[in-house]
Amino acid sequence: MSYALNEVEATAKRAARGAGYDWGLAEEAAKATRWLCAQGLDGAAVLAGLLEAGFAAGLANHVPRSLQGDWQADAPLCPLATGAALSDCAGRLQGAPQTMGPVAWPAMILPFAALAARRLGVCVSVEGEGFQAVTNGSALQIEGALPDAPASLTVRTEGTLSASVPPATRAEPDEAAWAVLNRFAHKTYAPATEESRRLGAGAGLSDND
Amino acid sequence: METTAQTTISRRDPAQVMRLSRLGSLHQCRLSFMRVLTRRMARENWSFARPKFDIDAKGVGVAVYTATGPARTYSLVAFAHDLPPEMRSDRVIATAWDATFTLFDGVPTDEDIERLSKNVPHQEAGRVNEKSLSVSRANRSVRLWAHFVDALSQGQQPDPGQVEAVGYLMRTTAVYGSGKLGAADREAIAGREELNAPFQAEMLSVFLTRAFVRDLVEHMARAKGGDQAVPLAPETARQLGIGNSTGLGMAPYIVNHPVLFNNWIMAREEAIARVRSVETASAEEAACFRRMLRRSEISAARWRSEHPVQIEKLASLHKDLEALSAWVASDDLLNDHPWDRLIRWSEAELGLEGQELAASLILEPYADLVDGLSDCMADANKDAFIIDGAMPVAQLRQLIEDSFAWTLDLDWSARENCARAWYVSEEKLEPRMGERFEEPISEYEQPLAPARDAALAHAALADWDAEEPVAGFLLRHPEHRHTVRRAQMSQVAPYGEIRSNTISDRVLPIDMLRAKLSFFGATHFDPRSDRWVRICMYAGAPYPDDLTTGNADLWVYPEADQ
Repeated sequence: MSYALNEVEATAKRAARGAGYDWGLAEEAAKATRWLCAQGLDGAAVLAGLLEAGFAAGLANHVPRSLQGDWQADAPLCPLATGAALSDCAGRLQGAPQTMGPVAWPAMILPFAALAARRLGVCVSVEGEGFQAVTNGSALQIEGALPDAPASLTVRTEGTLSASVPPATRAEPDEAAWAVLNRFAHKTYAPATEESRRLGAGAGLSDND
Repeated sequence: METTAQTTISRRDPAQVMRLSRLGSLHQCRLSFMRVLTRRMARENWSFARPKFDIDAKGVGVAVYTATGPARTYSLVAFAHDLPPEMRSDRVIATAWDATFTLFDGVPTDEDIERLSKNVPHQEAGRVNEKSLSVSRANRSVRLWAHFVDALSQGQQPDPGQVEAVGYLMRTTAVYGSGKLGAADREAIAGREELNAPFQAEMLSVFLTRAFVRDLVEHMARAKGGDQAVPLAPETARQLGIGNSTGLGMAPYIVNHPVLFNNWIMAREEAIARVRSVETASAEEAACFRRMLRRSEISAARWRSEHPVQIEKLASLHKDLEALSAWVASDDLLNDHPWDRLIRWSEAELGLEGQELAASLILEPYADLVDGLSDCMADANKDAFIIDGAMPVAQLRQLIEDSFAWTLDLDWSARENCARAWYVSEEKLEPRMGERFEEPISEYEQPLAPARDAALAHAALADWDAEEPVAGFLLRHPEHRHTVRRAQMSQVAPYGEIRSNTISDRVLPIDMLRAKLSFFGATHFDPRSDRWVRICMYAGAPYPDDLTTGNADLWVYPEADQ
């Protein structure tokens, strides 16, 4: 089925929140998933895979121990938290490349490299074994195949884009992945009770007159 | 925002403007989205047609209304239904309506209409595609509808008293846009000149809906009365608006879109500052203001509400209007910064309803200073989302203090300060507000309490070195990330934060609804509880066929002879 990108964004935000991420990172997950879909990639499938890994409950184990030097942790890095840090630290890329990893679901780092590229006004590349991706913030080119498995990555300011394709305006996510996102999203909804039905939206005076 | 006009008087302080009590007293103005649309359509000489009206004697069928501007045609596809009375509800949890609509991008083919007929009547349970720009539904005002059909079918015009008491034949209960139910994203159409200002597709949909409702009630009267039936008198038709029931679902919008909401408020504040900076007014400008004030009095006299809060506000407004008229009668409004003098007087002497009405009214004589600001009201600044992690902790603390100084000393553990929680119900994903200490909703709380969250983040930042980059703080405290983002956004959006507690035991969500609806151009706010409100849209406006540059703008102010 074809979805509006706003639907993707709204569903991704709820799903990330339902999976246990704080609101700020859920917002990042939503924009990132939307951005991947606009590039013609199945961002919903990437996010679904990541959420099923269940990092949110012990997120501190999946973020860089320190923002100095190589970014590492005892477990695979969460690409949402690590990607957010990459975007936050965009300015540092101008001095030196940032190495990190292994990072789970490496594709999810790309939208954050794009945010860094937008902040810096230059192209940013993400390189791992067997692939290199370059983005100027709005467009993306990938050589090689993006791995699903955790990968060590090097992010630097470099690269150029040849003729870019216009971004997609709709998304056609894998149905199973979309169902996974909706399953997580559902955890953010409070079960309806008679009281909430009556009071929660404020019944007040008649609505049938 | 770009400013070209000279202003010697600055915009009002966000600390003054952004209190919920004041936002809940806003009135429409020259920058309201309905007026922006009707001015454009008249200026560009849009043409309108009704290529299809295929509705039976029971009032069931489909109609298509087209609006054609210089570049494109948009079509309202309207489905009319025969709704059993017991199914009629304005609540989001309703599953059937008297009429359902989509605004179609272009002119629909028969295949399009066939596809839409299987989806639009089901609203949330259906799907549309990117050819739909909005999806909406409406219910009849039961009493007024029956009265109109009865009267017209017998060759009579409806009773003016009943028309004035209700104001509309149908009220919309939701107008969905921007990607909802599969419709086109705002981003896909925002580049079109005619849709760049906020909510133009939705406003066009309601404008055409009003024509459909008039045609439908005449059709039903003909079906009932045959040759005896008469058409609705144009002056009565003109007085009718489209009602709208707006519930809690819309309240979070202005919290969730701080940059967009800022742009609305800032455009109006800039307009007010420009007009206050006018040193001397011409006789015609002063006369224009006096005319609109007089017409506002007529509008206020027709404004009814049964809600105690609004009854009190209306009493205050009537008193303010008397005082304003007296002040205006004793001043020539020509010299020594007349509009600034008026605003300063109003701040000392009037209630919030009157102050904000005065602030909107002084804009009326100054189309040249004001109307161009409508180009600044969309949110094109997508990069405001990106956090600057290099910002020192001290600067972030300062930004939080700038918007939320008032909140930092509040006891956020006291029940009255966090009595409420906003959540999304499993049932049709309806946003609701509940009692935190009485219902099991805390774990589902939505991030709609920026003031409380700012206080929490500010406290957490206290232990951090002033020079430390924010990135380090965020790595350890992802729970404050959304608050850090909002604080940084406030640099480009000084009017982006509500400066009141949105979860206190005294919060009135209807204030948030009114703030938003006033920018649509709505009038006659009629709260039906503390959480939902009825309004009227396009009352007094010309119908598509009658739209001219002469009547496209000031229709919102009723004329004495109506």
